[in-house]
Amino acid sequence: MAANMAAELAQHLNARHLYPTVAWMQSFLTTTRPNTPLPAIKQTAHFRLLATDITTTLNQSAASVFPQDILKGTIQSRVVAGPVVCQVLDVEDIGHSRWSQVESIEAQERGEMTKGREIVRVVEQENEGTAEAAANVQSKGPFKLLLQDAKGLKIYAMDLRGIDGLNTNMALGVKLILRNFDVRRGVVMLEPANVQVAGGKLEALDKAWKEGRKERLMSAARADGETAS
Amino acid sequence: MTRVLCVAEKPSIAKAVANHLGGQARAEAVRGITWVKNYKFDFRFNPWGQCSVTFTCVAGHIVAQDFNERFKKWHSCQPVALFDAPIESKIAEDKKVVASNIEAQARYASILFIWTDCDREGEHIGTEIRDIALKANPNMQVWRARFSNIERAHVIAASQNPIRLDEAQAQAVSARIELDLRLGAAFTRMQTLALQHMIPQQGEERGKLISYGSCQFPTLGFVVDRYLRVRNFVPEPFWLIKVAHTKDEIDVKFNWRRGHLFDRMAVIIIFERCLLAKSAKVVKMAKKPTKKWKPLPLTTVELQKMGSRFLRLTSQDVMKVAEDLYTKGWISYPRTETDQFDRGMDLQTLVGRQTQDGRWGPFAQNLMNGGFQQPRSGRNNDKAHPPIHPVNYVAPTQLNDRERTVYEFVVRRFLACCSEDAVGEATDIEIDYGSEIFHAHGLTVIARNYLDVYPYDKWESSQVLPQYTVGETFEPTEANMLDGQTTAPGYLTEPELISLMDANGIGTDATMAEHIAKIKEREYVIARSKAGGTSAAAGGGSGRGRGRGGARGGRGGRGGAVAGQNGGGGTGGVQEFIPTTLGVALIEGYDNVGFETSLSKPFLRKEMEVQMKAICEGRTTRNDVVQQNLEQYRAVFNRTVQQINVLKSAINKYVVNANQR
Repeated sequence: MAANMAAELAQHLNARHLYPTVAWMQSFLTTTRPNTPLPAIKQTAHFRLLATDITTTLNQSAASVFPQDILKGTIQSRVVAGPVVCQVLDVEDIGHSRWSQVESIEAQERGEMTKGREIVRVVEQENEGTAEAAANVQSKGPFKLLLQDAKGLKIYAMDLRGIDGLNTNMALGVKLILRNFDVRRGVVMLEPANVQVAGGKLEALDKAWKEGRKERLMSAARADGETAS
Repeated sequence: MTRVLCVAEKPSIAKAVANHLGGQARAEAVRGITWVKNYKFDFRFNPWGQCSVTFTCVAGHIVAQDFNERFKKWHSCQPVALFDAPIESKIAEDKKVVASNIEAQARYASILFIWTDCDREGEHIGTEIRDIALKANPNMQVWRARFSNIERAHVIAASQNPIRLDEAQAQAVSARIELDLRLGAAFTRMQTLALQHMIPQQGEERGKLISYGSCQFPTLGFVVDRYLRVRNFVPEPFWLIKVAHTKDEIDVKFNWRRGHLFDRMAVIIIFERCLLAKSAKVVKMAKKPTKKWKPLPLTTVELQKMGSRFLRLTSQDVMKVAEDLYTKGWISYPRTETDQFDRGMDLQTLVGRQTQDGRWGPFAQNLMNGGFQQPRSGRNNDKAHPPIHPVNYVAPTQLNDRERTVYEFVVRRFLACCSEDAVGEATDIEIDYGSEIFHAHGLTVIARNYLDVYPYDKWESSQVLPQYTVGETFEPTEANMLDGQTTAPGYLTEPELISLMDANGIGTDATMAEHIAKIKEREYVIARSKAGGTSAAAGGGSGRGRGRGGARGGRGGRGGAVAGQNGGGGTGGVQEFIPTTLGVALIEGYDNVGFETSLSKPFLRKEMEVQMKAICEGRTTRNDVVQQNLEQYRAVFNRTVQQINVLKSAINKYVVNANQR
């Protein structure tokens, strides 16, 4: 019975391009109660797996991870067929200065974004070329992401087209499935057609990332500011 | 013959209206006061027949509110007691003669006809006049004139259609007066007593009053907020791509749709993709008619903003001048929120009066010859006054410099409103180059229309763009990756501050300029002209802004920057505001006591302003509003007293230790 269920589960997850390790499967099966219906178990497995760190829970078969030489900067462009499963470790809004993002976070901290008591601070611009005012709408990016595959390889990716679900409010550790994607100079070019947002998150990473975001933006801005001036 | 007593809000209105109604009305002196005259004449009012009229005036509010003797002295009570200490209403000391004149005249009259300005404040002054008159003669009928300028025909129409005083508006003002008195006195005493000794004094100067006002503080808050943004600002590098193409001997510059990005690697990769693509493809080529809309009819807030932007006058000065022009009958009442003209209003006649001018006369004549168009309608109507517009023509030689510029602006704005939108053709070209979109925009102005009379708006033809067709491909003559750097915003300018106050409900159009003047006078901010020097307007004029300038030297401090840039006599221009160290300390102190209800934030005051409107519209009562607001502010007051050390440490940080860093 157990073997049978393991096979069924594997099939279910594989169909979603997820190839869990034997160890994870076993430990998962020990947590299921015997009389739970199979469809529910399948869903639970999928959900739990997406909440794990894939570097420890997924098989590292060559087909499901990035090619070994993917970071090679001398390669102008190459297409990788995939599907590659990866998790998002970091995301940056590169369409807005870091400082303007800091200002917008601070306005939120002050409760100024609360509906009905928002302070209007941006009035018609008098002179062009001044810094952008703190934007309080969801930014359209573009975004630069840091991805990691099951083998632990880390690679930057760019979302230039605005893919649903990718932005600075997303859960860190979310899993993406990439197919037929262009890699330029060691950077993955994300397109709506080649990205599937599978969901999930890494709780601890997400929490730490959100808590430390303002500090990171501030120090990054300061570091950049020094080189700028 | 029925005797009618008319009372205006100020001497100039009394004189003007009396002369309109009574021809050369006979002016009788009033004993003990030189500036009040009683004008006597006969006039036929439709509802009352031929009447013998006495036309006199007051000068603003006659009744003053204050705490009674027991609470008046600073050390007589705990400041918190002022939240519910009894308030006495008395005829103000300097208005006693005015009041007794009304009493005396009321005894002989059977009708009281009130001619105060038609706004909330005027409604309240009207009730003060009524109360005084009825005390002397309880049988009087009380009426009120509704008018918004003192052009002759308008005044006569108003005299024939008396209405009733609007009690609700007067109640709103009464609520505002009580709240301002209690909150202002309580917070001012509390913070002055707690902080005064910490602030360095110079020479003979007595202790500094650290005043509080429920509009002043949020106004200061905006200035400090921007100042801190400027000071904390960190410049950052960015990168962008520009593309150029020469066609038909025209050099077309294409700009990146993304503007610029803050990641060099990303831009390099994108740029390489562009270069590899070699050719660009035209994806959009659109020519379409475009318009620059003529301005909306003029409101007070707009007048103040434009005044400080283009006329080199502070908001307060603009209002003073506009007030004078109104009193002399050249323009309509300058305090209005309305940006739509009533359909029935005869605007063409007003345009016609401007045809005699040498500068805009021909333009006005054109409008008279068929060019006239109904002005656009904005969304605001205060139901009391039309937008600000010229009432009569006055030759420039009869006005002083300031009056001339303000009058010229009002006239030009009005003529622009009655003219046509400017018309042009916009060309938009978009190209796809390496999967990135670049665009070029061109404008050809076809007919300037209103722009001819309204030099304050700029709209000019750009370079002519060549013809492209969608689908056409070409190899750009140039593609470059450039870099740049973000720059800090400027300090808050006066027009920006007015917009912020307006958008956040701080003050009314009538009082904004006063709040701004107040924070200058209190030395919470200093104003300088944006070009660099200290604004002439801040120094000259009434001299209030800088009356105690001596104190500032001792506190320059953190504002080392301020003091340094403070020299030189500017020639006006847009004013920008920089907080003093004391200004920054107060705002930061209150913010640290409690952000949610910080006095530096507009929330509490905005709510109060909304409730004033609710009183006017009969949705709530004066007492409810007063009680509710007192409760809210009392909570803030108590918290501040408990955490007074937070406020003190802010003063320490910015004022006391400022020079030791």
